[in-house]
Amino acid sequence: QEARVPGCYLHPINVTVRSERQGPCRGSHVAQACVGYCESSAFPSRHSVRAASGFQHNITSVSRCCTISRLQKVKVELQCPGGRQEQLEIFTARACQCDMCRLSRY
Amino acid sequence: FNTSKGDLRKFVGCAVREFTFLAKKPGCKGLRITTDACWGRCETWEKPILDPPYIEAHHQVCTYNETKQVTIKLPSCAPGVDPFYTYPMAIRCDCGACSTATTECETV
Repeated sequence: QEARVPGCYLHPINVTVRSERQGPCRGSHVAQACVGYCESSAFPSRHSVRAASGFQHNITSVSRCCTISRLQKVKVELQCPGGRQEQLEIFTARACQCDMCRLSRY
Repeated sequence: FNTSKGDLRKFVGCAVREFTFLAKKPGCKGLRITTDACWGRCETWEKPILDPPYIEAHHQVCTYNETKQVTIKLPSCAPGVDPFYTYPMAIRCDCGACSTATTECETV
C-alpha cells in the first residue's frame, strides 16, 4: 500500500494487451502511471472575476494535479497461438509532476 | 492562507482553512475579511492507455462542498452605490470536480 504523502510519483500498473491482427494474441506488461497529491484551494473570487462572469463565479479554484510529464514507448511481446510472437508498442510514464489539471475531466 | 495551524507540508486531504481577503468593489472602500475557505491536496492521477488520447486522467480539486452566504457592509461608499457585499463561507470542503457554473476554475 502506498503512503498518502504530498507529491506526484510513478506508480506501477499491470497492463494486459490483446491483439486480433494475427489471431488472438495476448501479453502483459507492467507500465508506470503517475499518482499523487497536489495542492489546490478554493476561496471567494475578486470583484473583477465576479463581474466578468456576470456574478456567477463567486468562488475561485486554483489547482494543480498529478500529471505525466514524460511519456515513453515500450515494446510488449504478445504470445499468439502456435507459439508465434507479435510485438506491440505501448506507452509508459517516465516522469511525473504536479501541473495543469485537465479541465475536460471536470 | 494562514499557515500557523498544524504541519501543512505533510497534509493530505481537503479541509476548511482560514483565508483573509480584501472585499472591494468600485465606489466603496475595501474591507479586510477573514473567513473560512478550502485548501488541501486531493488524490489525482494519470495513466497511459492503449487508445487515443493515450492518457486517462482523474483530476479533482479541493473545493467548497457546502457554503453559507455572508453579507457585509463596505465602508465609505459613494452615494448611489450599494454598500453590501456577499461572499461564500465554507461549511464543508471536499475533493471533487471544479464546477464551471459557480467557480472560476484556474489551473497552473
